Amino acid sequence: MAEPGTRGERVVAPTSAPDDVLRLEHVAKRFGPVVALRDINLHLRKGEVLGLLGDNGAGKSTLMKIICGFQKPDDGSMSLRGEPYEPRSVDQARKLGIDAVYQDLALVDELSVFHNMFLNREPIRRPLPFLDNRTMRRQARTALDDIGVNIPRLNVPVARLSGGQRQAIAVARTVNSEADILLLDEPLAAMGAKEGALILDLIARVKDEGRVSMIMVLHNYVHVLTACDRVNLIQDGRITLDKPTSETSVEELTEIVVDEYRRARAAASAERAVG
Amino acid sequence: MAVQAGQQPRHGAAPVQEGPGRPRALLSGALSLGRRFLTLREGSVIVITVATALYFTIKTDRFATTDNFKTLLPYFAPVAILAAGEVFLMINGEIDLSIGAVYLFAPFIFYEINNGGVPLIASLILAMVACMVVGLINGFFTAIIGINSFIATLGMLLSLEGLTLIISHAQPVETPGTDVATVTTFAKIFGAGTYSQLIWALLVVAILQVVLSFTRWGIYTVAVGSNRLGSGEAGIKVRLVIMRNFILCSTCAALVGVLEAVRTSSVQPDPSGANEVLFDGISAAVIGGTLLAGGSGTVVGALIGALFLGILRDGLIIQGVNADYLSFYLGLAIIVAMAANTYVGRVRKGSGHG
Repeated sequence: MAEPGTRGERVVAPTSAPDDVLRLEHVAKRFGPVVALRDINLHLRKGEVLGLLGDNGAGKSTLMKIICGFQKPDDGSMSLRGEPYEPRSVDQARKLGIDAVYQDLALVDELSVFHNMFLNREPIRRPLPFLDNRTMRRQARTALDDIGVNIPRLNVPVARLSGGQRQAIAVARTVNSEADILLLDEPLAAMGAKEGALILDLIARVKDEGRVSMIMVLHNYVHVLTACDRVNLIQDGRITLDKPTSETSVEELTEIVVDEYRRARAAASAERAVG
Repeated sequence: MAVQAGQQPRHGAAPVQEGPGRPRALLSGALSLGRRFLTLREGSVIVITVATALYFTIKTDRFATTDNFKTLLPYFAPVAILAAGEVFLMINGEIDLSIGAVYLFAPFIFYEINNGGVPLIASLILAMVACMVVGLINGFFTAIIGINSFIATLGMLLSLEGLTLIISHAQPVETPGTDVATVTTFAKIFGAGTYSQLIWALLVVAILQVVLSFTRWGIYTVAVGSNRLGSGEAGIKVRLVIMRNFILCSTCAALVGVLEAVRTSSVQPDPSGANEVLFDGISAAVIGGTLLAGGSGTVVGALIGALFLGILRDGLIIQGVNADYLSFYLGLAIIVAMAANTYVGRVRKGSGHG
């Protein structure tokens, strides 16, 4: 086992590949005195599923929110398909093909399944600006069938559905919105084995189509190794590991994380000794 | 036919039981129909309102008359309009306490503008715009500055009532466009005609219910009230949705203020009356099934809630209830109605119907 404090702080140098769709360089973000992201260098290749690991507070969610335009970075630059990418809003990012499924899913419990599927991009019937419910219902049905999600009734409020079904609707919504970069924030959180399998299957099917690239925040190392092509580890606002999942293992990932914990504890006790 | 079909498997073989079986089947059919009806969002308040109307019809023969219907109208039509606007804000998860003040302020500013030499219709439009600005200010402090809407609109309630007293010097004035001797066409349209207020109420309720159910404005209102953070993440402009609902609510209150001033052909600077209007509006919305917590409610429900309050007030007055007891009975009745509503609502949720 590694001695605490013997290993230096590991930081992965900026990497890239010729078929990158998304690239982040030296992205930083702070909230008042709290530094959420120090220096993030990240790239996403076309059709790839990138797993993002990291402890609570490491900055995963902040990173996702910056990519999807919900928050602005303080520093650094992003590029999308080779062009500079500076989203001013979620709407703008979505128009550029980047969409996110948040941890809270952004579903409206009181609205029906099909209204949720089309939230904020509802088709309108002219001349009076009425919602085109029939079109929404039909297209929602097709979209859900396409990715193999079985929800019998689309008129029911989503409050009545299970966690897995809700997650499936949130994923189907983003896939259906013509987004080609998908950000999934803990899609398997608080889900039973069966529902988790449903979502993993869904992700695999979307990946097989080859059109969509995905970044997924996950907690479970086994899920990362099964569902992702590549894994990035975020520690303390920096990316400290970038490897294809075929070249790493649960043991390696665990060791790095435990190592960091030991180092942090050693540093803290050293500080106490000085103070 | 449906009743017989339902009977067939159980009693088909025993013709003797046909006699007593049929009424029982009818009864169970009616019960299931009733249950179905109660699962409608407005079902419970409709039942409570009809029951109240029946009670007064049986107790006094002066209730179910055309004359009394006309007496009843001003008790409920203005409240329905107020509640319709308030429903949008309450679904949004906000509340507007300043509707009473706007109700008071609108006819005075209408009078002042008209008095300054502006033509009648133009000054009415300007008065409505002034009240929309009040809604805009409410929305600004709530959605942009981030003050709780209860506090922001409470402040608006007091300051606007105060402002009305200042500009009116606490003196009543004659409503512009009305004449004590003859009823002008303007007055007929804007409140003085027998059914004018009823038509306005039905019109406003119908339009707003359609907006709520079938437009983006409506479902974004539900979305923001139900999941504010999620709505923002989905790209809905949350602040805009809240602000326009504040403006809508103030506009409804201003319309009611003008309608009532024209109906009575005088404008009274009476803040306590205005506060009563506020309580009626919010009570009607809540009795109609709108949740104070946001996310759920209907405009039609608010209309029926207003009808319930109107029937109750009118019925108690006809019965000759002492004026001192009136508020007491009204308050009790509202609590009982809400308890029944909540109970039926729980049954509805459990039944799995929307």
